[in-house]
Amino acid sequence: MTAKTESFTQRLNESVTKRFNWQYFLQDNITGAWWLTLWVIVLALATAVYTGRQLSENPVSTIVVLIGWVVAMILVAIDGLHIWHSNVGSWLRRNLLSSVSNALISLLLLLIVIAGIISAWEWAVVNATFDPALTEPQYRTPDGATWGVIIGARDLLMVGRFPRESIGRVWIAALFFITLGGISLITKKIGLWDRNKIVRGILSVFWFISPFIVYILLAGVSAEGPFLNLQILLLGELVILATFALLVWQKVIKFSWLSLIGWAVIWPLAYVIWRAIGKSELFPPINVNLWGGLMLTLIIATAVILLSFPIGMVLALGRRSEVRGIPWWIIWPVTIIITLWGLSTSTTQILASARNTFEQIIAFWPLLLIVVAYILQRTFKGNVIAFASTAFIEFIRGVPLITLLFMAIIMAPFFMPEGLTLENIWAVILGYALFSAAYMAELIRGGLQALPRGQYDAADAIGLNTLQKMRFIILPQALRIVIPGIVGQFIGSFKSSSLVSIVGLFELLGIVRVIVANPQWLGLRKELYVFVGIIYFSGSFIMSWYSRRLEARLGVGQR
Amino acid sequence: MSTQTSVINPTIGVPNEEVIVCRDVHLWYGDFEALRGVSLTVKRGDVIVILGPSGSGKSTFIRAINRLEEHQEGEIIVNGITLSHDVRNIAEIRREVGMVFQQFNLFPHLTVLENITLAPINVRKWSRERAEEIAMKWLTRVGIPEQAPKYPGQLSGGQQQRVAIARTLAMEPEVLLFDEPTSALDPEMVKEVLDVMSDLAREGYTIIAVTHEMGFARGVADRIVFMDYGEILEQDTPDEFFDNPKNDRLKLFLSQILHH
Repeated sequence: MTAKTESFTQRLNESVTKRFNWQYFLQDNITGAWWLTLWVIVLALATAVYTGRQLSENPVSTIVVLIGWVVAMILVAIDGLHIWHSNVGSWLRRNLLSSVSNALISLLLLLIVIAGIISAWEWAVVNATFDPALTEPQYRTPDGATWGVIIGARDLLMVGRFPRESIGRVWIAALFFITLGGISLITKKIGLWDRNKIVRGILSVFWFISPFIVYILLAGVSAEGPFLNLQILLLGELVILATFALLVWQKVIKFSWLSLIGWAVIWPLAYVIWRAIGKSELFPPINVNLWGGLMLTLIIATAVILLSFPIGMVLALGRRSEVRGIPWWIIWPVTIIITLWGLSTSTTQILASARNTFEQIIAFWPLLLIVVAYILQRTFKGNVIAFASTAFIEFIRGVPLITLLFMAIIMAPFFMPEGLTLENIWAVILGYALFSAAYMAELIRGGLQALPRGQYDAADAIGLNTLQKMRFIILPQALRIVIPGIVGQFIGSFKSSSLVSIVGLFELLGIVRVIVANPQWLGLRKELYVFVGIIYFSGSFIMSWYSRRLEARLGVGQR
Repeated sequence: MSTQTSVINPTIGVPNEEVIVCRDVHLWYGDFEALRGVSLTVKRGDVIVILGPSGSGKSTFIRAINRLEEHQEGEIIVNGITLSHDVRNIAEIRREVGMVFQQFNLFPHLTVLENITLAPINVRKWSRERAEEIAMKWLTRVGIPEQAPKYPGQLSGGQQQRVAIARTLAMEPEVLLFDEPTSALDPEMVKEVLDVMSDLAREGYTIIAVTHEMGFARGVADRIVFMDYGEILEQDTPDEFFDNPKNDRLKLFLSQILHH
């Protein structure tokens, strides 16, 4: 026993005298510079004051933290003096308590975090009420959440002002997606998706028609229906057959007379089914402007995400297009003729009624055409596709989303043919999708440019045409590069969909404002915003988690 | 059947027919004239090596032959087809002309086999089975059939370049363009690629190669072309070219590359 103690004291003395230098320690930690001294003093004072306050407010937890901190300090001191090394001590010394100021900051932050957790716990659980019937101010506890509002206003939060008698249709839609998603996931997991063509085909068809199913369920089909219009019938048939021809030509699908007939009847068949559903009056129309809550958020976000990606891809490819430009000897005469025509008609007309200098200047707008032609000819070498894509992208990126949403609602009617109206929600989705697509286009363009030129050369040299080159070589690689950016854009689209509340659509965040204006839920902002925050976070987190998995999966064979 | 016709590739036609005719080809990059009137005639079965200092326009020239670069003046005729803006024309020429690059340019997201079968399936419209069979034949020819299921990133530089050659050959081209095929390789891998190239030359392929491998040029080439400043300054048989150069710049060039 004595021997042991002796050796310990001996070792302590040895360490302190030989390896540990108090002077250096003080210099490094406190007296090294005047600001360091000041910093440590301020920090020590702040920690002391805060600890004192916490001692009176949360005595138990604070004492536990303090004891833990002191024990940690002792461990670190023993470790630092090279008396006895332990993993815990070394870790603490490296990460939390490496200097006097770090030790103080660790204590202070620990206390703050714990105090935060305690008060959040008390607000959300201990002092909270959960009864949806008792949400009026007189029943609320002062320092507690009134979660009853979430339960009481759940319909509003989920579907907004969607007619309550038709709410079953929302359930069908939700069940449809849960079932379809679940089946797809299971078949993917057990490998059936990859092995079995028929299963894959059926599920793909269901996914493909899912937007229509959602539309039928949530918007309904009117009994009168669209009239059978020969023009529309032929136009649709033309589009479908052109798609078929393209897919066959690109060898995405194999040609057979059977499949040709199959494709040809899709359009008339769809029309007949549509009419039948309308006639059956199973799903009478619902005013789409009544959609709201989480449902609207999901519809807008999904539609925007699904639309913006292909549009963005086309815009990106368009901006990088290298098609042969229109030669200058066509551009200039045409421009001059149009400009002169504009000057002789529009300008003279406006000038005649102009009231001030500004309007007189505006009257000469056809001259801008010359500028456009100049840019087209000089910068784009007459390449109309690249010019149009660039102009579109830059225009959209130069306009704030909110302006665009207002424009979509106010201007859309001007572009609609006679007798047709566009519901606000469609205008908003379209405007928002175009906005998102412009950013998507630039992201994808970045990916296209990141590919070495050799990939383009090799694809050309082995004789692939432009479409094949893009499909097999360029896009698979470019899109993989930009997955993080694309998913970031998707998450942004999902969260920014809350901006549509500004143009009078009550999505998740917009409906919150409606709810808190309700007398029984007056002022219950915190609870609702916490709830909405959790929903947004979950959605965003799932997307970024999936993107990480996708990246890992696609990383196969990457250089 | 002529004696020169390849056993491996029976599509190679009558030798000594003019396959590539370039007349007074000019090519500008903006204001910079990269090719200043290049004229060259290549007969079927010829092996042409193009030499020249860097920036002399030799890569640009062979890239112009299959329209990776666009010439503005002059004529390029491949197998009787005049190269023009017409997309079908370009596609037809690219089917006849294969190209091997300095940086291999394999597609990193596709396996070796997929790299080779992609064009035969989608351009030649062969069935997958036939394309894979032919791909395996060419992989065996270049000596690496066992690499078929791997990705390019898992192969050495020499192996990658041999895959690139197999990919080019699988399209059954008449003419092979080599753009410095060994310049990006480690020295010990140069030989394996040069051996493949020599075999192809022996089999009667028409080859135009930009390379700095003097051994290959002397041993395999029928004709060596010296380019500088976007012009062909001299073309001759290897012996005459190396032993009896006439052009001053060629003399200087040879003295620089051979004397160390």
